Amino acid sequence: MEIYLPVAEMSVHWLTILGMAAAVGYLSGLLGVGGAFLLTPLLIFYGIPPNVAVATTASHLTASSMSGAIAQWRRRAVDLKMAGVMLCGGFLGSAVGVYLFGLLHRIGQTEIVVSVGYVILLGTVGGLMLDESVRTLRAAQLGTPPPLRMRVHHNWIHGLPFKLRFKQSRLYISLVPPVALGFFVGILSSLLGVGGGFVLVPAMIYLLRMPTGVVIGTSLTQIVCVTAATTLLQSVSNFSVDIVLAAILVVGGAIGAQFGVRMASRLRGEHLRLLLALLVLAVAARLFIGLVTTPDDLYSLAVGS
Amino acid sequence: MRALVVILMLLAGASAAHAQDLVSGLSQDQVEINSSYAGTSIVVFGAIEGDDPTPAAPKDVVVVIRGPETDMTVRRKARIAGLWINRDQMKLGGMPAYYYLASPRTRPLDKIASAQTLARYQLGLAYVTPQRIIGTHHPEKAEPFRIAAIAERARDGLYAQTQDVEFLSYSLFRVRIPIPATAPRGEYTVEAYLFRDGTVTSAQSTPLYVDQKGLERRLYRFAHAAPFVYGLSAVLMAMFFGWLSSLLIRQQR
Repeated sequence: MEIYLPVAEMSVHWLTILGMAAAVGYLSGLLGVGGAFLLTPLLIFYGIPPNVAVATTASHLTASSMSGAIAQWRRRAVDLKMAGVMLCGGFLGSAVGVYLFGLLHRIGQTEIVVSVGYVILLGTVGGLMLDESVRTLRAAQLGTPPPLRMRVHHNWIHGLPFKLRFKQSRLYISLVPPVALGFFVGILSSLLGVGGGFVLVPAMIYLLRMPTGVVIGTSLTQIVCVTAATTLLQSVSNFSVDIVLAAILVVGGAIGAQFGVRMASRLRGEHLRLLLALLVLAVAARLFIGLVTTPDDLYSLAVGS
Repeated sequence: MRALVVILMLLAGASAAHAQDLVSGLSQDQVEINSSYAGTSIVVFGAIEGDDPTPAAPKDVVVVIRGPETDMTVRRKARIAGLWINRDQMKLGGMPAYYYLASPRTRPLDKIASAQTLARYQLGLAYVTPQRIIGTHHPEKAEPFRIAAIAERARDGLYAQTQDVEFLSYSLFRVRIPIPATAPRGEYTVEAYLFRDGTVTSAQSTPLYVDQKGLERRLYRFAHAAPFVYGLSAVLMAMFFGWLSSLLIRQQR
């Protein structure tokens, strides 16, 4: 059951990798996230070189976001103009991220940047989600209507120049925030190997004030394009995409997602969000412990020039 | 460099007209990595030929296989602001990517020859040394990094030292050497040394090639020769499966 990965230059139990991808695919179908924040650490833990794991997870994300995006396109729940504007920043961010990734790899600081980045990102997002879902659940128990989300009245964003009308989102806002958001998520995607959906979605709702109905579809479209660009750039500049590994991940993810989607229709939204929040926090805690506890071996080895 | 030493040794052995010579061979001189490759092993066998002038003197055969030379960067973590971060680093140039030494079952390596002799031929894990050290002008500072690199490789199963050389008769020996799946591609050298009374009296070096084959080789080449097309095919494959998955999800509903 071993299969040799030509770029990672190692052989793996393909069933184990397929199982990991299916488990992550199940969760992403269940919770509506890409799941790369789980898959990348899992692959690294298995022994896949971190640069290959980060780069190859991008194609897993392309596939899982693609299937979600198609469903949203059919419902016409995608603001293509907004996605296009964000992509301008996204492609640039992805290029910067790939460059930074190569640089960090050469100076040997990939691990720390990826770990700290994950801890900050997952800790913040997980904490916010936990807070929100617990509040909603408690409100439901007491029978009171869920508390209104924090509303920033007419924020600074409306004062920025280069305004553009987004018909589908019923917005008339500056180009700067969506481009900046796209740029930031592009960096995250290529540097940390995550899709960034859990940053994009809240930012689009609370910062850009897009209607919730088009947020998911637009963010998925954005992720498909940015991860596709990341895969291309990683292949060209770092030669770190393993196509055999990508195939296993993509197939496993697709299988798992089928079951996840089925399960999701049986659970309540608040419960799902609570589950996701706990999962995200657990990963953050695990990585944080790894950063602060004294390692068994102070030395690490990188082979090749 | 090392091959040259071995050749010189061979010439020296021949010119000194020793009564005994070492002859050895490999079960295969090529290891092919295909899609189901999970590592393999090769058998090194050989014989001590000729009359033994001094039968009483102890004689031993040491077999060592070294992988292609590679640069290793060793980093040492230090606690900075509560976090463990890579700080000092040392580049060890020209280390064998794979190293496996086998000595006879009857005697441990350090009883076969003096430390000086073993160090000269880099026989034994303790004596695996880089060709050059980049990062310091003081070799003693690189020592902990060298030891750490060897330990790390040993943990990964890529450096090992065993007592697996088996004598089938008075002069016939055999040893099975594993080539793990993580051993890199490239040219390996298999060296067999005959020791008498603590000195090398005969040696033989045979190359062994480990290389990807068929689809694996083509994919690796593809990734490096046409990276854009390669990346594009990864993207298209991912998109295709995403589309397929969305069809399946729709059918469920």
